[in-house]
Amino acid sequence: MSKFNVLEHEIVPEHHLVPVEEEESVLSRLNVTKDDLPKIGINDPTIKALEEIHGKLDPGRIIKIIRKSPTAGYYEYYRVIVKSVI
Amino acid sequence: MMSLIWRDTKKNIELISENLPCSYAVEYMPVTSIDIGYISTDKQNIDYEVKISEVSKYEPADDIIQKRKTGLKAILKIESIRKIDRTPISEFKMEKGFKELTSFALGEKFHVEYREKEEFKMSDDALSVMEDAESRGYSIPVSLAYKLVKYKKSLPSDKYEKLLKRVDLELKKREIDPFEAVGIIAAQSIGEPGTQMTMRTFHFAGVVEMNVTLGLPRLIEIVDARRIPSTPSMTIYLTERYKNNEEKVKELIKSLENTTIIDVADIITDVGEMSLTIKLDKNKSRDRLVSMGDLLSALEKKKGIIYNQVDDESIAIKLQQESFKVLYQKQEELKTTPIKGVSKISRAIGRVDPKEGAWVIYTQGSNLREVLNIEGVDATRTTTNDIIEIENVFGIEAARNAIYREAENTLSEQGLNVDKRHLMLVADMMTFSGAVRAVGRQGISGRKSSVLARAAFEITSKHLLKAGLLGEVDPLAGVAENIIVGQPITLGTGAIDLVYKGNKK
Repeated sequence: MSKFNVLEHEIVPEHHLVPVEEEESVLSRLNVTKDDLPKIGINDPTIKALEEIHGKLDPGRIIKIIRKSPTAGYYEYYRVIVKSVI
Repeated sequence: MMSLIWRDTKKNIELISENLPCSYAVEYMPVTSIDIGYISTDKQNIDYEVKISEVSKYEPADDIIQKRKTGLKAILKIESIRKIDRTPISEFKMEKGFKELTSFALGEKFHVEYREKEEFKMSDDALSVMEDAESRGYSIPVSLAYKLVKYKKSLPSDKYEKLLKRVDLELKKREIDPFEAVGIIAAQSIGEPGTQMTMRTFHFAGVVEMNVTLGLPRLIEIVDARRIPSTPSMTIYLTERYKNNEEKVKELIKSLENTTIIDVADIITDVGEMSLTIKLDKNKSRDRLVSMGDLLSALEKKKGIIYNQVDDESIAIKLQQESFKVLYQKQEELKTTPIKGVSKISRAIGRVDPKEGAWVIYTQGSNLREVLNIEGVDATRTTTNDIIEIENVFGIEAARNAIYREAENTLSEQGLNVDKRHLMLVADMMTFSGAVRAVGRQGISGRKSSVLARAAFEITSKHLLKAGLLGEVDPLAGVAENIIVGQPITLGTGAIDLVYKGNKK
């Protein structure tokens, strides 16, 4: 956790928590299981910042990231929270 | 709101929690207007929060818990104690800026308001274009939807339909085929222009020269995910109030540069007298805006020395324990004693950036976490070229953006035109696991799931031996392992399997 809101930095794209009810539809739209999604560590500064807003987040929750792309404008990316990353 | 932070033993904490509410005698006298205290059991982290209702002078009594046996000065009336999540001491703004807790300190907990960025919403026009295209069975990216807005308004509907059809066709033509080996294409597309890059690193254009690694060495550094780049450097943007005020910028630059005693003074060792003399260099100290007072306050924190100001230029230092070994040690220690500045930042220069139209500070050395908390620094834009540091401070997504940005800048600086998508693929692969991984044996290639693919890459015997010991299974799903066993590879047409769904009767 940093002393200022990391989510506000220019280089950090939008991070949003996907509600548990919507997880199913996200996974079926992408045609993957949770294990196939890219990962994000529970100790990631952005997750710590999201925890300040939403309360404690458990591994397994899905984070929606809206990335700015030089080719496609904007697009969505998903990451699943994991306990530890390597 | 100031609060009290102190260090204590587990035993004392237990005693307090058993006898709540209680009076607790401590060996220091804090200012009286305190109602929250924090206890640390080690020097770096805070574990407990206590509510203090009263602070009074120490007077011996029976029902007092003593922190230690002698030298008690004050009594804290403790109402409650609660274990909190481990927070590092750096999260507290201390009255005196220091990083380690010695006995007690007054500090303030940072209060940061956290909120999410507002979710990106397309403009209504673009959204209607997108929905319209989707209902006709075409899928288009967001950037195209924005471009199509004006045509949707101006063109008659049959022509617009034709346009959409054409756009869709062109998009499909440019799509990568299923099971195309995009990694190989990206590797070659970055690798070929890479051979034309000069190995030369050239200089930073500007008033003051500053070296920054560029070209092939920098590109290798990026994909290798080095812990510390060879020339870490920061670009510091300033807030509204600072960015056009030259005087304030100059002041900020001086406060950034890490100044040690050796930078502004000479240290003379007298072996016969067993003493050291620090002689302030007038020119150097004026340059770095260091006064005698700064020097003295830097010496204040040093242990084992007795210092004495002789005149306004020199300080005599005697040792508490006289020996040649200690003399030498102290001399070396004094050389690197910081007077002011941010650690790791060795140099900072300011320039009026033409694009920005305002002052921007460039530094040699990088310390993102500390610089972001300095007043006057625009914390939402300031960045560094150290990718690992970005990962630690801003998270994995920011690191992904940093990899892309750095690689793109390095290549375009050399006049090479590599398609953005290749670089994005590299950045995505490097950050897939949630941490920045290098491309190579330590990272992506070394962690493939297939044994044979790993063995074919590097250190064959190690991988085969380990796989044999652990009984690993290789499903032969990748390219390298299928070449080894002599089967068609799983790319292009080779990736297609015949599936027979039998009649369910």
